Amino acid sequence: MAQPAPAGKSPATWGAVVVLLAVAIIGTLWVPIYARSMPTLGPFPFFYWYQLIWVPMTAVLLWICYLLLRTKRT
Amino acid sequence: MNHINTVTLAIVLISFLIVTLIGFASARWRPAEDLMQLNEWGLAGRGFGTFVSWFLLGGDIYTAYTFIAVPALVYATGAAGFYALAYTIMVFPIVFIFAPRLWSVARARGYVTPGEFVRGRHGSQGLGLAVAATGILATMPYIALQLVGIESVLTVMGIGSTTGNAFVKDLPLIIAFGVVAAYTYLAGLRAPALIAFVKDILIYLTVIVAIVYIPGRLGGWGHIFSAASTHLKTANAATGKPYGSIVVLPAGEWAYATLALGSALALFVYPHATTGVFAAKRRDVIRRNAAMLPAYSLVLGLIALFGYMARAVPAVNADVKANGGNAQLSVPALFAHIFPSWFAGIADSAIVIGALVPAAIMSIAGANLFTRTIYKELFRPYATPAEETRVARVASLLMKVGALGFALELNKTFSINLQLLGGIWILQTFPAIVIGLYTRWFHRIALIIGWAVGMAYGTFQAYRTPGGGQAHFGASTAPVFGHITYIAIAALILNLVVSAVLTVVFRHIGLQDGYDETRPADYLADPVTAPGPVTAPRPVATPSAP
Repeated sequence: MAQPAPAGKSPATWGAVVVLLAVAIIGTLWVPIYARSMPTLGPFPFFYWYQLIWVPMTAVLLWICYLLLRTKRT
Repeated sequence: MNHINTVTLAIVLISFLIVTLIGFASARWRPAEDLMQLNEWGLAGRGFGTFVSWFLLGGDIYTAYTFIAVPALVYATGAAGFYALAYTIMVFPIVFIFAPRLWSVARARGYVTPGEFVRGRHGSQGLGLAVAATGILATMPYIALQLVGIESVLTVMGIGSTTGNAFVKDLPLIIAFGVVAAYTYLAGLRAPALIAFVKDILIYLTVIVAIVYIPGRLGGWGHIFSAASTHLKTANAATGKPYGSIVVLPAGEWAYATLALGSALALFVYPHATTGVFAAKRRDVIRRNAAMLPAYSLVLGLIALFGYMARAVPAVNADVKANGGNAQLSVPALFAHIFPSWFAGIADSAIVIGALVPAAIMSIAGANLFTRTIYKELFRPYATPAEETRVARVASLLMKVGALGFALELNKTFSINLQLLGGIWILQTFPAIVIGLYTRWFHRIALIIGWAVGMAYGTFQAYRTPGGGQAHFGASTAPVFGHITYIAIAALILNLVVSAVLTVVFRHIGLQDGYDETRPADYLADPVTAPGPVTAPRPVATPSAP
């Protein structure tokens, strides 16, 4: 996603956004990280609660990206 | 299971009636100046803000796939079915990156479908046609999945299962589908957008009640997981191997990751998803929604766990076994056995309406593609907007008939395979659409050949994969270099390699490039006013923010 910075956002901002989005994708794409049952959270094996927790984490990461890229309408 | 519970049936019928009234009334919602514009019928005037878009996209993406197919897979095979959660997590970062660009160029140029964008961007009618045809083909099995979802609910309710006559058996389903076709024909995208509100209220209500109420009835989550684990460790009489596992095994990791990634890359090149995106009012709406839509993914994850809950209820297992081991009955059967009749009715309504909304959006999206990229492009370049809308309305009916064909022809034991088969096809349009948003490096003819190779390889691989008791199109994963991989990903890589190599060759021999009708500013455009009727190429839009 080597994009020129549209709407006047600095390359640093774009870099930060790309890193955050990459983290959000790799968190569940790299299956060996979470294909295990320990540690459990209550009765939930790690495999399940890890992925369920990634849902709100992704939402937060995306909201940060949205705020970073937000521009005023003209 | 063959006795009809009148309370449950009455509640489902009342819900269906209410939703039907809303569907017909929606023609007057946000009234259009002229409903006979394709922009109005097919994109509801491109006027949806963050709030409505959230419901519309949610109604679009979370379908019978979520409520029936995924828990069925979890019920039968355990952890492997959870890839759907990983998929709906990684889809939003992907959408966040490219969907705003697609929205902007569609808005600036008046495109209603991705097919028109591809034609305009690459200056290639052939590539536009390929994208449109693929979109229509891939959407039909996805609509068929919705039909299978509704059928599962009806079967558990005891409707249509007592007679051997195929037509009478499917009659309730055909009537329900006919009613949806009627209000979709009349109101276009407004109908599913408005009904999506009802759908979501019912879905969230059902999921919250189920998560709070069912584990207590079944002796807690610990018991649910241990019951599931016990079953999954049991050897399958047919194969001699265990049914599955409670955690993905190392041998299954590659399939898990490629199924999730392939599905995530495919989702927003599906016509129904782009239709939802194009209906947004502002560019901003899409990124905000990418950050807010994961709320539905949480719901998907919880519904997937219903598969384990169902496993912990012996009566559900008996019902599934009595119906030839059809795991898709597990969730409706769970509702029937655990909930009081009236709440089972509400939960069943949620599934039925949750399948009708996306079916309507998908048929509209397919109809838009047919009208703009095939009918207008090939046969009637000077079609008036009213003629376009008339054609799209009829095409939306034909999409539903085609879907019925898929539903009747293909194996329904694991309907998730219908969605995965569509994914193999639609992902082959990814280079032309998504990469095309960023670069015109690829040569248009190379893209067409790459697409054809990907389609041929993907279809062939799916054809020769047996599964679920049938010899062909039985599963969507196959061994590639020793790893079980989602065929869509293998086909996409082949597609990209062929396109890249041929691009170099074609540039070298000086094969003429296509004309790009879009301008760099189009990809960042955020116009305030809705575009008017589009019959001629539109002027270049003003870039918004400095």
